[in-house]
Amino acid sequence: MTDANAPQQQAPAAPVAPQAASSGAGAPAGAPPQSQGPGGFGGRPGGPRPGGPGGRPPGGPKRGKRNFVRKKKVCRFCVDKVDLIDYKKADVLSSFIQDRGRVLPRRMTGTCARHQRWLTVAIKRAQNIALLPFAAEL
Amino acid sequence: MEERQYDLIFILRPDTPESEIDKVISTLDHAATEKGAKIEKTEKWGRKRMAYRVQRLREGFYVYMVVRSSNGEVVKELERRLKVSDPVIKYLTVRLDEELKRQEKFKRHREKRAARRPKKTVPASVPGQAGEQAAAPVA
Repeated sequence: MTDANAPQQQAPAAPVAPQAASSGAGAPAGAPPQSQGPGGFGGRPGGPRPGGPGGRPPGGPKRGKRNFVRKKKVCRFCVDKVDLIDYKKADVLSSFIQDRGRVLPRRMTGTCARHQRWLTVAIKRAQNIALLPFAAEL
Repeated sequence: MEERQYDLIFILRPDTPESEIDKVISTLDHAATEKGAKIEKTEKWGRKRMAYRVQRLREGFYVYMVVRSSNGEVVKELERRLKVSDPVIKYLTVRLDEELKRQEKFKRHREKRAARRPKKTVPASVPGQAGEQAAAPVA
Protein backbone atom coordinates (compact mmCIF):
# COMPACT_ATOMS: atom_id res chain seq x y z
CA MET A 1 0.00 0.00 0.00
CA THR A 2 2.52 2.49 0.94
CA ASP A 3 5.01 3.32 -1.68
CA ALA A 4 8.51 4.10 -0.74
CA ASN A 5 8.25 7.84 -0.88
CA ALA A 6 5.02 8.49 0.93
CA PRO A 7 5.66 8.07 4.59
CA GLN A 8 2.19 8.91 5.73
CA GLN A 9 1.48 5.39 6.78
CA GLN A 10 2.27 4.23 10.25
CA ALA A 11 5.75 2.82 10.41
CA PRO A 12 5.88 -0.94 10.86
CA ALA A 13 8.58 -0.50 13.42
CA ALA A 14 7.88 1.45 16.58
CA PRO A 15 4.21 2.25 16.33
CA VAL A 16 4.57 4.00 19.65
CA ALA A 17 7.41 6.15 18.50
CA PRO A 18 7.22 9.48 20.28
CA GLN A 19 5.71 12.16 18.15
CA ALA A 20 8.35 14.56 19.12
CA ALA A 21 7.95 16.58 15.97
CA SER A 22 4.71 17.91 17.26
CA SER A 23 6.03 18.91 20.61
CA GLY A 24 7.45 22.09 19.28
CA ALA A 25 11.05 21.12 19.14
CA GLY A 26 11.58 23.25 16.11
CA ALA A 27 11.37 20.60 13.45
CA PRO A 28 12.37 22.19 10.17
CA ALA A 29 9.80 22.68 7.48
CA GLY A 30 9.68 19.89 5.02
CA ALA A 31 10.18 17.16 7.56
CA PRO A 32 7.57 14.44 7.35
CA PRO A 33 4.93 14.82 10.02
CA GLN A 34 5.60 11.32 11.20
CA SER A 35 8.85 11.18 13.00
CA GLN A 36 9.92 7.80 14.05
CA GLY A 37 13.04 7.09 15.94
CA PRO A 38 16.37 6.72 14.26
CA GLY A 39 16.58 4.10 11.62
CA GLY A 40 12.89 4.16 10.83
CA PHE A 41 12.62 4.03 7.11
CA GLY A 42 16.20 3.42 6.55
CA GLY A 43 18.57 6.23 6.04
CA ARG A 44 17.35 9.00 8.30
CA PRO A 45 20.06 9.02 10.90
CA GLY A 46 18.98 11.31 13.69
CA GLY A 47 15.39 11.78 12.94
CA PRO A 48 14.28 15.11 11.58
CA ARG A 49 14.23 16.70 14.97
CA PRO A 50 17.77 17.95 15.47
CA GLY A 51 17.90 19.23 11.96
CA GLY A 52 17.19 22.74 13.09
CA PRO A 53 19.56 25.04 14.88
CA GLY A 54 21.06 22.09 16.56
CA GLY A 55 20.16 22.75 20.18
CA ARG A 56 17.10 21.16 21.64
CA PRO A 57 15.36 23.35 24.16
CA PRO A 58 14.86 20.70 26.82
CA GLY A 59 18.52 19.91 26.67
CA GLY A 60 19.62 23.48 26.97
CA PRO A 61 22.05 24.54 29.65
CA LYS A 62 20.92 26.54 32.62
CA ARG A 63 21.41 29.72 30.68
CA GLY A 64 17.87 30.09 29.47
CA LYS A 65 14.68 28.53 28.37
CA ARG A 66 14.57 28.17 24.62
CA ASN A 67 18.24 28.49 23.99
CA PHE A 68 19.57 27.19 20.75
CA VAL A 69 23.19 27.55 19.89
CA ARG A 70 23.81 31.23 20.28
CA LYS A 71 25.99 32.05 17.37
CA LYS A 72 27.85 30.05 14.83
CA LYS A 73 30.45 28.52 17.07
CA VAL A 74 33.55 27.38 15.32
CA CYS A 75 35.74 24.52 16.32
CA ARG A 76 38.78 25.94 18.00
CA PHE A 77 40.93 23.17 16.76
CA CYS A 78 39.84 23.46 13.18
CA VAL A 79 40.64 27.13 13.24
CA ASP A 80 44.09 26.50 14.58
CA LYS A 81 44.44 23.51 12.34
CA VAL A 82 45.71 21.18 14.99
CA ASP A 83 46.39 17.64 13.96
CA LEU A 84 46.99 16.18 17.34
CA ILE A 85 45.40 16.95 20.64
CA ASP A 86 48.03 16.36 23.27
CA TYR A 87 46.80 14.74 26.45
CA LYS A 88 49.70 16.25 28.33
CA LYS A 89 48.45 19.78 27.97
CA ALA A 90 46.07 19.94 30.84
CA ASP A 91 45.60 23.68 30.58
CA VAL A 92 44.18 23.43 27.09
CA LEU A 93 42.06 20.45 27.95
CA SER A 94 40.69 21.91 31.12
CA SER A 95 38.60 24.40 29.20
CA PHE A 96 36.68 21.47 27.75
CA ILE A 97 35.58 19.88 30.97
CA GLN A 98 32.88 20.93 33.36
CA ASP A 99 33.89 22.10 36.75
CA ARG A 100 32.58 18.78 37.93
CA GLY A 101 35.18 17.06 35.78
CA ARG A 102 32.89 15.79 33.02
CA VAL A 103 33.56 16.35 29.34
CA LEU A 104 31.57 19.22 27.89
CA PRO A 105 29.26 18.39 25.03
CA ARG A 106 30.00 19.60 21.55
CA ARG A 107 27.14 21.99 21.39
CA MET A 108 28.61 23.95 24.24
CA THR A 109 32.15 24.10 23.04
CA GLY A 110 31.49 24.23 19.34
CA THR A 111 34.01 21.55 18.59
CA CYS A 112 33.64 19.55 15.43
CA ALA A 113 32.93 15.85 15.60
CA ARG A 114 36.37 14.67 14.71
CA HIS A 115 38.11 16.88 17.20
CA GLN A 116 35.60 16.05 19.86
CA ARG A 117 36.49 12.39 19.52
CA TRP A 118 40.18 13.12 19.82
CA LEU A 119 39.53 15.51 22.62
CA THR A 120 37.66 12.94 24.64
CA VAL A 121 40.46 10.46 24.24
CA ALA A 122 42.97 13.03 25.36
CA ILE A 123 40.88 14.07 28.32
CA LYS A 124 40.48 10.54 29.49
CA ARG A 125 44.19 9.92 29.23
CA ALA A 126 44.90 13.05 31.20
CA GLN A 127 42.41 11.99 33.82
CA ASN A 128 44.13 8.66 34.15
CA ILE A 129 47.43 10.26 34.86
CA ALA A 130 45.96 12.70 37.35
CA LEU A 131 46.48 15.77 35.22
CA LEU A 132 42.75 16.31 35.13
CA PRO A 133 40.21 15.28 37.71
CA PHE A 134 37.68 12.55 37.16
CA ALA A 135 35.14 14.11 39.43
CA ALA A 136 35.90 17.36 41.10
CA GLU A 137 35.05 17.64 44.71
CA LEU A 138 31.89 19.48 45.49
CA MET B 1 59.45 -3.81 11.23
CA GLU B 2 58.24 -0.35 11.79
CA GLU B 3 59.25 1.55 14.78
CA ARG B 4 56.75 2.25 17.45
CA GLN B 5 56.83 5.18 19.70
CA TYR B 6 55.48 5.18 23.21
CA ASP B 7 54.94 7.90 25.69
CA LEU B 8 55.54 6.78 29.21
CA ILE B 9 54.59 8.91 32.15
CA PHE B 10 54.99 7.82 35.70
CA ILE B 11 54.54 9.47 39.03
CA LEU B 12 56.67 8.90 42.08
CA ARG B 13 56.05 9.80 45.66
CA PRO B 14 56.89 13.45 46.17
CA ASP B 15 59.25 12.78 49.02
CA THR B 16 61.46 10.47 47.02
CA PRO B 17 65.09 11.57 47.06
CA GLU B 18 66.65 12.54 43.78
CA SER B 19 68.96 9.56 43.86
CA GLU B 20 66.05 7.18 44.03
CA ILE B 21 64.39 8.83 41.09
CA ASP B 22 67.52 8.53 39.04
CA LYS B 23 67.80 4.93 40.04
CA VAL B 24 64.34 4.22 38.77
CA ILE B 25 65.08 5.99 35.53
CA SER B 26 68.27 4.08 34.95
CA THR B 27 66.56 0.80 35.76
CA LEU B 28 64.03 1.52 33.08
CA ASP B 29 66.75 2.56 30.74
CA HIS B 30 68.57 -0.72 31.15
CA ALA B 31 65.42 -2.72 30.84
CA ALA B 32 64.61 -0.94 27.65
CA THR B 33 68.00 -1.41 26.05
CA GLU B 34 67.90 -5.05 26.98
CA LYS B 35 64.82 -5.43 24.89
CA GLY B 36 66.22 -3.49 22.05
CA ALA B 37 64.40 -0.28 22.68
CA LYS B 38 65.83 3.12 23.09
CA ILE B 39 64.69 5.85 25.34
CA GLU B 40 64.66 8.97 23.34
CA LYS B 41 63.83 11.52 25.90
CA THR B 42 63.46 11.73 29.62
CA GLU B 43 61.90 14.74 31.21
CA LYS B 44 61.45 15.34 34.84
CA TRP B 45 58.46 17.50 35.33
CA GLY B 46 59.06 17.73 38.99
CA ARG B 47 56.55 17.99 41.73
CA LYS B 48 53.06 18.67 40.57
CA ARG B 49 49.77 18.79 42.28
CA MET B 50 47.65 15.90 41.17
CA ALA B 51 44.04 16.28 40.21
CA TYR B 52 42.95 13.68 42.74
CA ARG B 53 44.45 11.79 45.61
CA VAL B 54 46.52 8.79 44.75
CA GLN B 55 47.43 6.60 47.68
CA ARG B 56 46.38 9.45 49.94
CA LEU B 57 48.94 11.80 48.39
CA ARG B 58 48.09 15.08 46.77
CA GLU B 59 51.35 15.76 45.01
CA GLY B 60 53.63 13.63 42.94
CA PHE B 61 56.88 13.75 41.08
CA TYR B 62 56.19 13.39 37.38
CA VAL B 63 58.63 11.87 34.93
CA TYR B 64 58.00 11.68 31.23
CA MET B 65 59.81 9.42 28.80
CA VAL B 66 59.65 8.73 25.12
CA VAL B 67 60.48 5.18 24.16
CA ARG B 68 61.13 3.97 20.68
CA SER B 69 61.07 0.33 19.86
CA SER B 70 60.32 -2.04 17.09
CA ASN B 71 59.19 -4.60 19.59
CA GLY B 72 56.08 -4.30 21.67
CA GLU B 73 57.33 -6.50 24.49
CA VAL B 74 59.39 -3.76 25.95
CA VAL B 75 56.30 -2.00 27.25
CA LYS B 76 55.27 -4.96 29.30
CA GLU B 77 58.71 -5.15 30.80
CA LEU B 78 58.88 -1.48 31.63
CA GLU B 79 55.47 -1.53 33.18
CA ARG B 80 56.36 -4.54 35.21
CA ARG B 81 59.37 -2.73 36.60
CA LEU B 82 57.26 0.27 37.42
CA LYS B 83 54.69 -1.84 39.09
CA VAL B 84 57.14 -3.46 41.47
CA SER B 85 58.98 -0.27 42.15
CA ASP B 86 57.93 1.19 45.47
CA PRO B 87 58.18 4.93 44.95
CA VAL B 88 56.17 4.77 41.72
CA ILE B 89 52.51 5.33 42.39
CA LYS B 90 51.06 5.67 38.93
CA TYR B 91 52.11 5.08 35.37
CA LEU B 92 50.64 5.33 31.92
CA THR B 93 51.96 4.15 28.60
CA VAL B 94 50.51 5.53 25.42
CA ARG B 95 51.29 4.26 21.99
CA LEU B 96 51.74 7.19 19.74
CA ASP B 97 53.07 6.17 16.39
CA GLU B 98 49.72 5.83 14.69
CA GLU B 99 48.66 9.22 15.89
CA LEU B 100 51.87 10.79 14.81
CA LYS B 101 51.53 9.17 11.41
CA ARG B 102 48.08 10.59 11.13
CA GLN B 103 49.32 13.97 12.13
CA GLU B 104 51.97 13.79 9.46
CA LYS B 105 49.41 12.76 6.91
CA PHE B 106 47.19 15.71 7.68
CA LYS B 107 50.05 18.06 7.63
CA ARG B 108 51.18 16.80 4.26
CA HIS B 109 47.70 16.99 2.82
CA ARG B 110 47.30 20.46 4.03
CA GLU B 111 50.59 21.56 2.63
CA LYS B 112 49.84 19.93 -0.67
CA ARG B 113 46.53 21.68 -0.85
CA ALA B 114 48.06 24.96 0.02
CA ALA B 115 50.71 24.56 -2.61
CA ARG B 116 48.10 23.79 -5.22
CA ARG B 117 46.31 27.02 -4.61
CA PRO B 118 47.68 29.84 -6.70
CA LYS B 119 49.97 31.76 -4.47
CA LYS B 120 51.56 35.03 -5.40
CA THR B 121 55.06 34.69 -4.11
CA VAL B 122 55.70 31.00 -3.73
CA PRO B 123 57.29 29.21 -6.67
CA ALA B 124 55.03 26.38 -7.76
CA SER B 125 57.90 24.02 -8.36
CA VAL B 126 58.57 23.43 -4.69
CA PRO B 127 55.98 20.95 -3.43
CA GLY B 128 54.46 21.67 -0.10
CA GLN B 129 57.01 24.11 1.13
CA ALA B 130 54.83 27.18 1.03
CA GLY B 131 56.53 29.90 2.99
CA GLU B 132 53.58 31.18 4.88
CA GLN B 133 52.18 27.82 5.74
CA ALA B 134 53.53 27.22 9.20
CA ALA B 135 53.64 23.71 10.55
CA ALA B 136 50.37 22.66 12.15
CA PRO B 137 50.57 23.29 15.88
CA VAL B 138 49.86 20.60 18.41
CA ALA B 139 47.17 21.69 20.80
